[in-house]
Amino acid sequence: MSTTEKQTRSWKAERVLDGMGKKLSRQITGSLVACVHCGMCTESCHYVLANPGDPTYAPAYKADKIRRLFKRHHDWTGKVFPWWVKAGSVYTDEELEELKDIVFGRCTNCRRCTFSCPMGVDLATFNRMARGLLVSVGIMPEGVAVVSKDQWETGNQMGVLKEDYLETLEWMEEELQDELDDPTVSIPVDQPDCDVVYSINPREVKYDPRTISDAAKIFHVAREKWTMASEGWDMTNFGLFSGDDALGGSVASRLYEKVNELRGKTLVISECGHGFRSTRCEGPNWAKFDVPFVMESSIFTMLRYIKEGRIKVDKSKNPKPVTYHDSCNFARSCGITEEPRELLHLVCEDVREMYPNRAENYCCTGGGGAMSMSEYTRERLKSGVVKANQLEATGAEVVVTSCHNCVDGLTDVIRHYKLGMEVTQLVNLVANALVIEGKPAHAVVPGLEVEAGSNAQA
Amino acid sequence: MNELSAQLHFAEHRLQEVALAFMALVYLTRVLWFLRHKAGGERQPTTARDPKARRRGILYSWATVAMPWAMESTRRMPFFYVQFVLFHLGVTAAITLSFLIPYGPGVLESSALVLVFQVLIWAAFAVGVLRLARRIRNPYIRAISSPDDFFAVFLLTVWFFFAALSVPNDVSGGEGILLTYFWLTAFFLVYVPFSKISHYLYYPFTRYYLGKSLGYRGVYPVYRVQGS
Ligand code: SF4
Ligand code: SF4
Repeated sequence: MSTTEKQTRSWKAERVLDGMGKKLSRQITGSLVACVHCGMCTESCHYVLANPGDPTYAPAYKADKIRRLFKRHHDWTGKVFPWWVKAGSVYTDEELEELKDIVFGRCTNCRRCTFSCPMGVDLATFNRMARGLLVSVGIMPEGVAVVSKDQWETGNQMGVLKEDYLETLEWMEEELQDELDDPTVSIPVDQPDCDVVYSINPREVKYDPRTISDAAKIFHVAREKWTMASEGWDMTNFGLFSGDDALGGSVASRLYEKVNELRGKTLVISECGHGFRSTRCEGPNWAKFDVPFVMESSIFTMLRYIKEGRIKVDKSKNPKPVTYHDSCNFARSCGITEEPRELLHLVCEDVREMYPNRAENYCCTGGGGAMSMSEYTRERLKSGVVKANQLEATGAEVVVTSCHNCVDGLTDVIRHYKLGMEVTQLVNLVANALVIEGKPAHAVVPGLEVEAGSNAQA
Repeated sequence: MNELSAQLHFAEHRLQEVALAFMALVYLTRVLWFLRHKAGGERQPTTARDPKARRRGILYSWATVAMPWAMESTRRMPFFYVQFVLFHLGVTAAITLSFLIPYGPGVLESSALVLVFQVLIWAAFAVGVLRLARRIRNPYIRAISSPDDFFAVFLLTVWFFFAALSVPNDVSGGEGILLTYFWLTAFFLVYVPFSKISHYLYYPFTRYYLGKSLGYRGVYPVYRVQGS
């Protein structure tokens, strides 16, 4: 790169380009060099399907906005004959802002296009890299800045204060005592040496505390030795969305250190696709932390309780037709597709499959932190037509998902497209189906074995 | 058998050898450059049920190319997949031909084999024409295409044309066709490492790392139920 070119480049642009060189792993480099522009991935993206005739939404088109920088600065042909391979650089902050609108506003990092690419190009991974580079110079949607700041400062992404959190737990404890007519029911906090330390999404404290009391009810009936933590209880991680590995590592360590301090045996992660992926799969890598305890999704915990006979469920208590929405992070990044279905069939009478599903399911539109980026809401909701059609075709009244982010994304889509469906999570359905105090369970689960370690870590 | 002119002999032998050596050298440098990048590791235990999931994921990832049912895109565009197969069979045939003519011309005395080569290469030529038309006419493809993308498919299509005509290895009507084919082959060998045509060099690596990661996480092999 010539000195003159460097001099004409803004400080931020220079930093982004410098940072890119440091972020290029083999996985990312492979995805950047391997695209043959065949267009096979085009129709896999919900943005493309919702905007027919507009090629600027195509995954490869969006990817090329990042790839051009790579080609210009790291690839031979792009360095010598940039025009020949559409390589290009970035010079101004305005150009970085344009890139921001693509990497944050036109891609939810859902990874669906990866599964349609014959070359194995993983756009979501280098799109996350590009987000991280922009975030490193302060260029990001306002919501991303606010949420990241909250998570850095308070340790949870919704800025929930410790006293509010503890008050909510107390409130839920009282509700549960009333519901079960049992004053001994508790939501323990900071109990050492428990078998389960339960971590949650701050959204549960702020907007959906019933999921906390439902989980507590299940733990109580299962006679689990469990606790919640007064600090380091947020299993979500905005680092996954913002591409900021330092934030990712810091949030994950906070959680791991607390479980270690409490000498917990298993960290149970409440239902959340990105929370599970961040805590269970990415966190140890970001934090460079060798986690010594087991980590499992609450989906597995609930399923295990039923299989072990620790809780009994009656599926007739959930008679409405339901369908299951796979969270992108569970299905395409963690391989969790069957256990939620197994659990759903145990607690609901009428389960209807949505098509396509599992690793081919469409994003709820709220992936990649999109729910926090209000400037892109219009485009997001427009892309939601794909999900809306999928939902409507099932004929279900209730859509079940194992992800708080998806709950919000789906609720928005359902409201916007006037589908009149309810959105709920497995924990709510399991709690509702619980058979308590010797009442006979209709749904006996014969011959089920406990799958130890399939999604756990020793 | 007619005697080869010195020009054709040069084009078939020394020119190809030099071009091949150049390509090998550039490829080696490319691979070393690629391997200089860090391979990201995974500290967490697998989320897959199968302890051999990582290996299965890699194998599945590599095999995807031969499993048109495995990807939504190839299920949706079966004709495109057939084109892909024909195109790459044509490439293989045309490359093999560039070795057979100088080093094993006797093989091409079999008229059946000549026919097989011609069918494969003409089919690839037809696909090349279709691909070029698609790249020009389809707005989605045009929007993502660079001059290199257009040139790569154009170069290959022209190369197929001369390769198909060269299959009989007959110089009785003049050496023009064979000379063009071998000069084009040499150009192709030298140009490829700098073009997107070199994707096949990266393909095993890209799919290896994707398969390794998605296998370890229990995503690969993709589990599908009928109807989805
Ligand atoms: S990751 Fe998802 S949203 Fe982004 S381009 Fe691919 S399919 Fe579209
Ligand atoms: S399918 Fe893969 S190789 Fe083809 S255009 Fe999309 S990302 Fe590029």
